[in-house]
Amino acid sequence: MYVSEENEKLFGDKKIPPKIMFKRLWRYIVPEWKSFALALFLILINVALDVILPLFLKEFTNAISKDAEHIVALAFVIGLAIGYFGISLINQILIYFESMILQKAGQRIVYTLRMEVFEHIENMSQNQFNLMPVGSLVTRVANYTTSMSDLFTNVIVTLLRNILTIIGVYGIMFYLSWKLSLILTGFVVVVFIASFIFRMVITKIWRKERAQTSELNTFLNENLSGMKIIQIFNQEKRKEDEFNQRNKNLRKTKFKAILAFACYRPFINFLYYSALAVTFFVGISFNLNAGEIVAFYLYLSRFFNPVQNIADQLNQIQKAATSSERLFNLLDVKPESVDKPNAIHIDKFIGKIEFRHVWFAYEKEDWILKDVSFIIEPKQTVAFVGATGAGKTTILSLIVRNYEIQKGQILIDDINIADIEVKSLRKAVGQMLQDVFLFTGTVRTNITLHDEQYTDEEIKDVCAYVNADKFINKLEHGLDEEVIERGENFSQGQRQLLSFARTVLHKPQILILDEATANIDTETEKLIQESLEKMKSIGTMLVVAHRLSTIQNADQIIVLHHGEVIEKGTHQSLLRQKGYYHKLYLLQFNND
Amino acid sequence: MLFGKYINRYYLKYAPLFIIGILALLAVDWIQLYIPEYLGEVVKILNTGGDKERIITLGIYVIIVAAGMFLGRFLWRITLFNAAFRIEAEMRHQMFLKAEALPRQYYHETKVGSIMSWFTNDLETISEYFSWGTIMMVDAIFLGIITTIKMVRLDLWMTLICFAPLILVVVWGFMCEKFFMKKWDERQNAYDKLYDFAQENFTGIRVVKALVKETKEIHAFAKIAKKNADTNISFARLSVIFDVFIEVIISLIFTFVLAFGGWFVWSFVKGQAIPIFGYEVDLTADKLIEFVGYLDILIWPMIALGQIVPMRSRSKASLARVSNFLDVEILVNSPENGIKLENARGEIEFKNFSFHYPTYDASSLHEISLTIKPGETVGVVGKIGCGKTTLVNVLLMMYNVTPGTLFVDGNDIMSLDIKALRNQIAYVPQDNFLFSDTIENNINFGLENGNEETAIKGAKFAGVDKDIKGFKEGYQTISGERGVTLSGGQKQRISIARAYVKDAPILILDDCVSAVDTKTEETILHNIQEERKDKTTIVVASRVSTVMHLDKIIVLNEGHLEAFDTPKNLLKTSPTFIKMVKLQELQKESEGGNQ
Repeated sequence: MYVSEENEKLFGDKKIPPKIMFKRLWRYIVPEWKSFALALFLILINVALDVILPLFLKEFTNAISKDAEHIVALAFVIGLAIGYFGISLINQILIYFESMILQKAGQRIVYTLRMEVFEHIENMSQNQFNLMPVGSLVTRVANYTTSMSDLFTNVIVTLLRNILTIIGVYGIMFYLSWKLSLILTGFVVVVFIASFIFRMVITKIWRKERAQTSELNTFLNENLSGMKIIQIFNQEKRKEDEFNQRNKNLRKTKFKAILAFACYRPFINFLYYSALAVTFFVGISFNLNAGEIVAFYLYLSRFFNPVQNIADQLNQIQKAATSSERLFNLLDVKPESVDKPNAIHIDKFIGKIEFRHVWFAYEKEDWILKDVSFIIEPKQTVAFVGATGAGKTTILSLIVRNYEIQKGQILIDDINIADIEVKSLRKAVGQMLQDVFLFTGTVRTNITLHDEQYTDEEIKDVCAYVNADKFINKLEHGLDEEVIERGENFSQGQRQLLSFARTVLHKPQILILDEATANIDTETEKLIQESLEKMKSIGTMLVVAHRLSTIQNADQIIVLHHGEVIEKGTHQSLLRQKGYYHKLYLLQFNND
Repeated sequence: MLFGKYINRYYLKYAPLFIIGILALLAVDWIQLYIPEYLGEVVKILNTGGDKERIITLGIYVIIVAAGMFLGRFLWRITLFNAAFRIEAEMRHQMFLKAEALPRQYYHETKVGSIMSWFTNDLETISEYFSWGTIMMVDAIFLGIITTIKMVRLDLWMTLICFAPLILVVVWGFMCEKFFMKKWDERQNAYDKLYDFAQENFTGIRVVKALVKETKEIHAFAKIAKKNADTNISFARLSVIFDVFIEVIISLIFTFVLAFGGWFVWSFVKGQAIPIFGYEVDLTADKLIEFVGYLDILIWPMIALGQIVPMRSRSKASLARVSNFLDVEILVNSPENGIKLENARGEIEFKNFSFHYPTYDASSLHEISLTIKPGETVGVVGKIGCGKTTLVNVLLMMYNVTPGTLFVDGNDIMSLDIKALRNQIAYVPQDNFLFSDTIENNINFGLENGNEETAIKGAKFAGVDKDIKGFKEGYQTISGERGVTLSGGQKQRISIARAYVKDAPILILDDCVSAVDTKTEETILHNIQEERKDKTTIVVASRVSTVMHLDKIIVLNEGHLEAFDTPKNLLKTSPTFIKMVKLQELQKESEGGNQ
């Protein structure tokens, strides 16, 4: 029962080599290359101006550091101040444009990615859906896409800016006093070594922290869900101890991370001030003037800040890479039931359905259907009857190819459904499932499912046709009445009627219905029965029946038992046979 | 700082950490202000050709200050964060204890997802406020004040000149907060919509596929994704404008200082100091440079001041959610001096017992009266929703019941100590929940000191020993996602083993053999009758075959007791039971006919 490679991809654990990863990431950058090039250009100017700015202060300091005779014109001093402001202003304007360009490009990338992932998931087969928790699929669509786009718009750009700044600042310091900058190079080396060590340490701690956080959360989730068992078995103390262990471990690891930061950050800060002290010591022997000392002071902070941020950014890149890996893995999963290369597209079915020696199992050899054969003529209504687990519902889901059969053939209009385009097949078959799923939205969107081609007239006609109009008209907002999560503000019967409307609106040629077993009030029950009677005329209808009326009015009844067809015929003929159906009828429907 | 009844005590408990941390912060704030002073003096010496030796001394001072700052910064990080993490962990512990004490009803009404988010997001927000919030607050107030004092002492007029726009920074921060909140909400809403849409779509994928609406859904999703991108961009625009504006004001302040300061210095050097209200500004170049140094330091407190407000409101909201959770009243409690049941005989009596769930009206029970004698093995049958599970839920004291209607060993259940009562009962739930732990630990869950032997004993009883031995790791196999995926039947049997090894006077099996094949079911039932001869066992079942050979059977019909008798008698008296038996016979018959 160990996971296959496809599953490994589905869960996102499969490793992707960095080279391929980069290639795939590059694909998203290419369409946005103009934005990135422009942003990059702006960043270059930005960094250059940023690096020049302290020079103004240097000139300024020198300008005013003279005695009465040598002092320069006041206009020059004021001019420097205004120049300083001008450059800052230009810089900020550039930052605005550059940030917005990147933001917009980034959002376009997220959009593309999200659509790609969503479309991909939408086309996955039912089987794959069953394998994967909905939660992790949603995380992929919502979160991972965001953190991946962060990579392009934020992380890489900031990293680039920091590196450029470091180079630029170093260049200027070199220009101001090459001797002093050579001495300061010693500090640079220390900073890099410290950063390198810090990064090694913190990466390890962070990895541990992430693992422990997720362990604690998994623990919490599991135990909150299983609290009933804990309480009944009186194991609160044991679980508390287990919890404390995890809680403590996480706290300690978090503290370790802070300890690493508490050493690193202040240390870099210490180096910064030491560098300033060295500037003082060496400055006098190199005869630096006041302006140059001030400039060095300013450059030093512009130099040390980016250095200590680089460690952070490298970590973010790693995080984004993990997200990307998971996304690519998911995109690599191939949908299971794909159309054959020359799948037949069919616009309209006549509605003849045939099962020829069909065998089916969800899991190997555990046969749910055994050699099932029957023919349903166009426009016939057929009821499937049998005990729970006899395979009735399975037959319905096989017709729309939710699953593939192992042996035999299913034919519609004498064409093997394996050769028919899945979409055209499902379009022709209107499915009304036992457990009606309603989406959050309005009554209207639940009937049309976001398809805007339908007019109000059409929707209302359909509602009237299936008897859903009566309760809809009573709603305060009619078709626009709000539907809350899972449709909990509608009764079972109302939901059933809505699902009828939903199906009929889409004009199917074949209808399949899995009747609900739940209790429905008598009034609605009557509406449903009438509605069903009308719907019979739409096309071929297959019903997993629980209502006596449905069964009595069927053209054919197929009785299933443990995956086999044991009796076939009309209600009357089956009763005359006095077989299984007869007994079932007497027990289940008579005097109930 | 944040106050509330659940956190006040931590200030006291971690007072030393908080005090040392805040003192360290203050010390760092204080000494870092010496740097601009030294810088000013260096400029003065260089300009006036003073004592160059002094510069060396100043350099050494800088290193001493730097060393002090290193120490201080190290200290406040390890004290304040330590306190914050400890508080976070302790609060999480407190919450976990609460979660363990909360009755079933709470879990019906509250989604585990919501509780999880209080445990994670909200606690982190609170913890962050304890650490960064304190740091920002102290910095903003203390650093702001002493820097201002130093600036005023240096030059009053210069201080006034730069404070005018500096106040703009703070005002701007407060002003934008509302917009930020609005844009933040818009963005969050758009994101929630996207999240919910994806969640619903994936959950209802059957419907989408059934109606071939994949394309339409993709189009609908595209709209939401587009909206999401738009709100993100507009939020980003606001925050970029916010930052840019602050930066512009800051450079405006610098420009003011440079322009006015330059003018003052220039005039002073020229010997024509500018008089303001009769006061002559005697600003020198070194003082101006020192001033600029202070200004540099002052920027951070100003920005912090603008950030504290939203941070505080966020953490207050989080604390409110956590407090709400900790405040939930625990309705199902042991009475004071509750009777501690030990070695129960296993007699259970319902006396005119009625029950309905507090919040929803499904599966109520009405006026049930019956007595299960010690050592009896009793079945419970009836249609779905007739109250079978409710009957065992009340026995486990998952809910409060009317006093004087339910008795165990002759004691009113409401007068019993709940823990002691539960010790007397072993239970197999319907949903066969197992922990992600080894199979051995899962089976021994109810035991103080279980070992592989006890686990094997239980597994043999439940007929799952062979299955377990078939796994590569045997009893050490981990169940759940990261280990072996167990089948429904295996899980059921393991949870039967878990209940069996507890060896309690009363054993309840709640419809737990549905996924077990008939033969294994027979083995288990046989084992029950063999090994629990003198102990009470209640078997809730949906198949009549399960209970056919038990001592007595309770037949429920829509919450009413239809009959309580031996199977033999029931075949004559209970219509529901007779029908169930006939249906089952029919099934068997056709099975026989097919083979």
